[in-house]
Amino acid sequence: MPNEKTLVLVYNLIMQYKNNPLSPHLQIYKWQISSLLSIAHRIVGVINIIAITAICIWSLLLLLGNESYRPINFFLNTFFGKFIGVSLCWTFSFHILNELRHLIWDLGYGFDLKVSKITGVLALIGSFVFTILFYLIGKNIF
Amino acid sequence: MHASTKKWLFTKISSLILLPLMVWFIVNFVSIYDKNYSEVALFFTQQSSKIIFSIFIIFAFFFSALTISEIFEDYIQDEKIKYVANKLLNIFAIVIPLITILGIFNLTV
Repeated sequence: MPNEKTLVLVYNLIMQYKNNPLSPHLQIYKWQISSLLSIAHRIVGVINIIAITAICIWSLLLLLGNESYRPINFFLNTFFGKFIGVSLCWTFSFHILNELRHLIWDLGYGFDLKVSKITGVLALIGSFVFTILFYLIGKNIF
Repeated sequence: MHASTKKWLFTKISSLILLPLMVWFIVNFVSIYDKNYSEVALFFTQQSSKIIFSIFIIFAFFFSALTISEIFEDYIQDEKIKYVANKLLNIFAIVIPLITILGIFNLTV
């Protein structure tokens, strides 16, 4: 039978474990390019998988036939529909470039603070350039 | 190999595979999303599109299940809630691509 002291110790350990701080602490971060891109990468990743799920449902709706597809086609041709198209270009572009940055880090390069900031800015600016490129290529404008 | 190492390797390999698939998908999505039924259906009935799109969604959901579980790890404190959230995430990552693949392989113009 454990004594009281042991029980208190175990209880404190459990409470400490339960109150284990969560990370990252967004509310106490001093915002800078690295933290901004890190949290944006996560948010954009979640947006992308929600969008891919919606695209899966969109592809399944094709099974219902031409008549049922008309309202979806109408919606995708509205300003909001086109905005979604362009926005997805940006979320994909940003995720591709920032993921590439992560993969380069995994190879052991680009950890230097200055280099990390430069690649961060490049990923952010590049995401807008890629958005335009993907949209123009997709629309056969080139 | 430690489970965490294995998870990290799977995440990195799947992300590497996903990069070209994402480029392929977004360019094709832009070219068809506002088109009429027959043009969109034609894209999804082409053999190459079917196969690449299927591979894309398999890796996308696999990668998202691995990475979103890390978000759960960082933000969900309660172990039980975290466990349920991870189980639901895994079910979602299997069911959605499976239904979609079955659907597009049964699609005819």
